[in-house]
Amino acid sequence: MNFELSEEQKMIQQSVERFVQENYDLPKRVKLSSQDPGYSKDYWNSMAELGWLGLPFTEEVGGFGGNQIDTLVIMEQFGKGLVLEPFLANIVLGGGAIQMGGSEELKNEMLSSLIEGSKQITLAYAEQQSRFDLEDVATSARKEGEKYIINGQKSMVLNAESADHLVVVTRTNGGQVDEEGITLFLVDSDSKGLERNNFPTVDGLRASEITFDNVEVNSERMIGDPDKGFSILRTITNNAILALCAEAVGAMEVLYKDTVEYTQQREQFDQPLSDFQVLQHRMVDMFMEYEQCKSLLFRATMETIQDPSMAQRTIHALKHLIGKSGIFVGENAVQLHGGMGVTEELRVGHFFKRLLVIDSQFGNADFHLDKFTKF
Amino acid sequence: MDIELSSEDLAFRDEVKAFFDENKMKDGEDYFSWRLGWFKKAREKGGWDVPKWPAKFGGPGWTPTQHYIWEQETARAAIPFDLPFGLGMLAPILMSYGSEEQQERFMPDIRDRKVNWCQGYSEPGAGSDLANLKTKAVLSEDGTYYTVNGSKMWTTLAHVADWIFCLTRTDDSGIKQQGITFLLFPMKQEGIEVKPIITLGGSHTVNTVHFTDVKVPVENRIGEEGKGWTYAKGLLEHERTGLAGLSRSLVEVEQLKDNARSVQRGNGTLMDDSSYKSKVAELEIDLMATEYTELRSLANAAAGEELGPESSILKLKGTEIKQKIQKLTVEASGIYSPAWGDGGVGYPFAKGGTGGYLNSRYFTIYGGASEVQKDVIAKKVLGLTKGSKK
Repeated sequence: MNFELSEEQKMIQQSVERFVQENYDLPKRVKLSSQDPGYSKDYWNSMAELGWLGLPFTEEVGGFGGNQIDTLVIMEQFGKGLVLEPFLANIVLGGGAIQMGGSEELKNEMLSSLIEGSKQITLAYAEQQSRFDLEDVATSARKEGEKYIINGQKSMVLNAESADHLVVVTRTNGGQVDEEGITLFLVDSDSKGLERNNFPTVDGLRASEITFDNVEVNSERMIGDPDKGFSILRTITNNAILALCAEAVGAMEVLYKDTVEYTQQREQFDQPLSDFQVLQHRMVDMFMEYEQCKSLLFRATMETIQDPSMAQRTIHALKHLIGKSGIFVGENAVQLHGGMGVTEELRVGHFFKRLLVIDSQFGNADFHLDKFTKF
Repeated sequence: MDIELSSEDLAFRDEVKAFFDENKMKDGEDYFSWRLGWFKKAREKGGWDVPKWPAKFGGPGWTPTQHYIWEQETARAAIPFDLPFGLGMLAPILMSYGSEEQQERFMPDIRDRKVNWCQGYSEPGAGSDLANLKTKAVLSEDGTYYTVNGSKMWTTLAHVADWIFCLTRTDDSGIKQQGITFLLFPMKQEGIEVKPIITLGGSHTVNTVHFTDVKVPVENRIGEEGKGWTYAKGLLEHERTGLAGLSRSLVEVEQLKDNARSVQRGNGTLMDDSSYKSKVAELEIDLMATEYTELRSLANAAAGEELGPESSILKLKGTEIKQKIQKLTVEASGIYSPAWGDGGVGYPFAKGGTGGYLNSRYFTIYGGASEVQKDVIAKKVLGLTKGSKK
């Protein structure tokens, strides 16, 4: 058993931590978030130059052959500053799908420009009726000669506004909720018949509703084998869950620490709030939730690296706990900050919002608890 | 023990329902003229425009049961909220502690909804510990006016208020509950600056208010100098009961269930989902109990007992319930709960749901944070003070 990071990982951790400290105070974040494209292109380029965008990709395509622990290290630090740059959408989801299922041509064409930050790719999978069910796919792709014709609608697509390409999850066979018969395509986002409705999300990020009206895609742009796309979808969304949970753990750390500090400064009834035992115990609870989440995050990440097929149950457990504990820590950080916690002026509210959104992505606490019980 | 409504109560309920029904806003009608007309007709019913005012001051003089019926039907008919600051907060203080001149001067405009009031209580350093307030009022040498300097915070709707009722410090030599003076003055005057505070739900309701050399004539002081805390304290308990908002919650829970039924899950809806269903059920059970806690408190009030610490129970449970309703709305919105801004995405009810939840976090903070309410119960009900060892 060894929970130590490698020397390389420690160096990445320190460099991301420094980047976040230097570039991500609250006013800066608010400003970036409110201007197009909703993050900093300069930061994105810096991340590319520092090699972070290539970390999880293989060396053949210009990456560094990292694994989920490397992503965890980056995302946990990102969580401490609520970093806006679209690492999850591009590197974990879009790039992850191509790395796993793309043809050699597609990998060569896409991944090096993704890694150098010149191209962006996101994943379009959820639909209105699907809620959190990955296998519930109604958007259809119909074969016509060398082409496929896509029709349907995708919801809450992360960072689609900036994406040059979308990995679109379609139904090519089987019933609407069958795992078999799902096929992934890489679709140019300026394709004819593709329409994006972009909007901000409560955590200061961006998402889109997308409609496909007879959108044509060449069969060379298929990712993985026809009808067999589900396992790719499952793998990249599991990786996204691990990444998001790492971000959440970083955010929870900020929240409990900020709360401890604030209660030591704020005086009411002629003493610092931190002198009240009831508040001390609440902060102990927040701290324990954070530690427990971190433990389960390590467990799920290490089990995934060891054998992804055995890690599914732990991933359900993790996303459940992160959803529940993240909101617990967020609500109590706000409560203990009193009125100030409910304002846009302090950062606790912003971290709370991010944790709230994380619970709603890739299945909320209830959804994963239910899945867990069915194992 | 008897929970059956008497035939008089039943008749009253029908009368209230009929009144709400007859005076609905018509299509295309201007909201404000409708609302003012509504108050006029309510007044003609015998003080229904000021339901909580005692008969002596022109209110209807209802029994607690009648109040309960009124609240329920108001929520059911979705009658818009009436701003509580003048009507429910200042007016009772004027009735108890104001001079006759002050009553005559201020109450008619409050009743006619002509003047918007705001409440100047909390300050940057005086939140849960309200008595710690520092806004200074200094009496002029000739004793005719006070000069007010300082800041108030979390002042709800200060940006649209015409007047403020304000706790100020005139003496800091004694314990902090002493030396507080209750002043009334207009908001639209030199020396008053209102700055918005934007809350997490993205809305502007509360403000900071800064006073620089604001002159307040001495006849705008309620009661005696230095006794303001006594006047304000009784009111806080009333405020807490009002914050519970149970009758509205009852209606909102039904709405919540309707929303969940509109979310398709497989062959059923979200209301068939066992964990979601259980959470709604737990919420309803909580609400059922709290409704009767409120009724018991009303019955005590009817028997002439002072409203006491049970207002803390109601505030605690009532605000928790309101927060849970908001949280379950967010959960029902599912993947769409993060959507923000003006465009509606996903389910119609999802829009505004997350903002509502975020703002609802305030419910367990304002009007005395939950932790403070529990202190009140611990001390006043359970007798758990330092040195209470037996």
